[in-house]
Amino acid sequence: MFIERRILDVSKIESFLENLGLKLPKKIDYTVGVFYGKEIVGIGSISGNTFQGIGVDCRFQGEGILGKIITHLIKKTLEMDNDEIYVYTKPNQSINFESYGFKKIGQCELAVLLEWSSKGIKDFKESLRKLSLDKPKETSCIVMNGNPMTIGHLELIEKAAKESPWLYIIVVEEDCSLFPYDIRIKLIKEGTKHIKNISIIPGGQYIISSLTFPSYFTREDELVKAHAQLDLDIFVRHIAPELNIANRYVGTEPYCEVTSYYNECMKNKLERFGIKVKEIPRIKVNGDIVSASKVREMIRLGKVKETKRFLPETTYRFVISKEAEKIRKKIKASDSRH
Amino acid sequence: MKIQNVVMAGSLESNDVLVTLRPTDNDKLFINLESIVQKQFANRIKKIIDDMLNEFNVESGDIHVQDRGALDCTLRARLETALSRAEEGR
Repeated sequence: MFIERRILDVSKIESFLENLGLKLPKKIDYTVGVFYGKEIVGIGSISGNTFQGIGVDCRFQGEGILGKIITHLIKKTLEMDNDEIYVYTKPNQSINFESYGFKKIGQCELAVLLEWSSKGIKDFKESLRKLSLDKPKETSCIVMNGNPMTIGHLELIEKAAKESPWLYIIVVEEDCSLFPYDIRIKLIKEGTKHIKNISIIPGGQYIISSLTFPSYFTREDELVKAHAQLDLDIFVRHIAPELNIANRYVGTEPYCEVTSYYNECMKNKLERFGIKVKEIPRIKVNGDIVSASKVREMIRLGKVKETKRFLPETTYRFVISKEAEKIRKKIKASDSRH
Repeated sequence: MKIQNVVMAGSLESNDVLVTLRPTDNDKLFINLESIVQKQFANRIKKIIDDMLNEFNVESGDIHVQDRGALDCTLRARLETALSRAEEGR
């Protein structure tokens, strides 16, 4: 029997989870508890489309309580119009979820990411495979946000394209940046029209997204490590093989700590899977390192004209255009790093 | 019938089955079966699914069946419930 009510006091939930070595999840949309008399014996929560803080009292394990909780949460999530469900859990808990039809999509020392969906990453891989059919075998890739695209990005792309039979530019699709996704990808497409051996593809939700890398956008520093590794694990396991990627190009990162940690992990992880990481030093203009964050800073300070020396013609034209007025205002009003 | 909403029936508890029906964007019919007794009974389960889909004249949809060892009658009942819900557009 299910009784629904507003939770007024989370302390019981908190202490129950604490006993299992779990923390009370943040941003809970829904929680279900299983009771034996008045005592909580199992609990699970939904936050958006991820399940969090799921645990069963060890005295009641093996009685199908986890199955009850998961079924109930799946139904609730679907009612909330989320068709795909994810769970982050500890590696030793992964098997419990796998037995309920969750598929492991990424793994690192600290965490496992699982997915419950009939298509999910299978579909994404299928779409990549189709793309790679008529392309050469040993390709390269660059993953970029391009917020907005600078001459630094362009230089990196030109260099990688020259050194490789084919280059995939994977554009971060998550819309958490000051320049929206459709503008970012448009400017990359326009700025690289002269290069023939490239494909520009949307990163979907499996490359640096709020799914694979939530802390990239929110910066909870202790989580950054686990997320960086999960993101890279998904890259080597699912994405690189479909696109036959042999090299991944990155620019050196002098400013952003998260990105520079990510680059460091990348070298470790990718090289173990036989993918070369080529870190290319950033270019300078009159002694100043070119970076998109500097460009955004200039816009913030109202020095839009000064961005010219950092931007390809196509990006500059957009930045000063009437169309970009809204974005310029947003940048001025924001103190976001992205 | 074309599946036009996401509907569910059943559960992931032992000896039950969870049936999830979703619409597809290209009017195709997909059947995705996962079962803890796949090796022993996959063909038999598939036949029940096919029969039920025929009974309801399902032309398109994504049929996701997660079997936890349900008996034939349970599987039929869960499929019938899910398909009826889809028919009612719930």
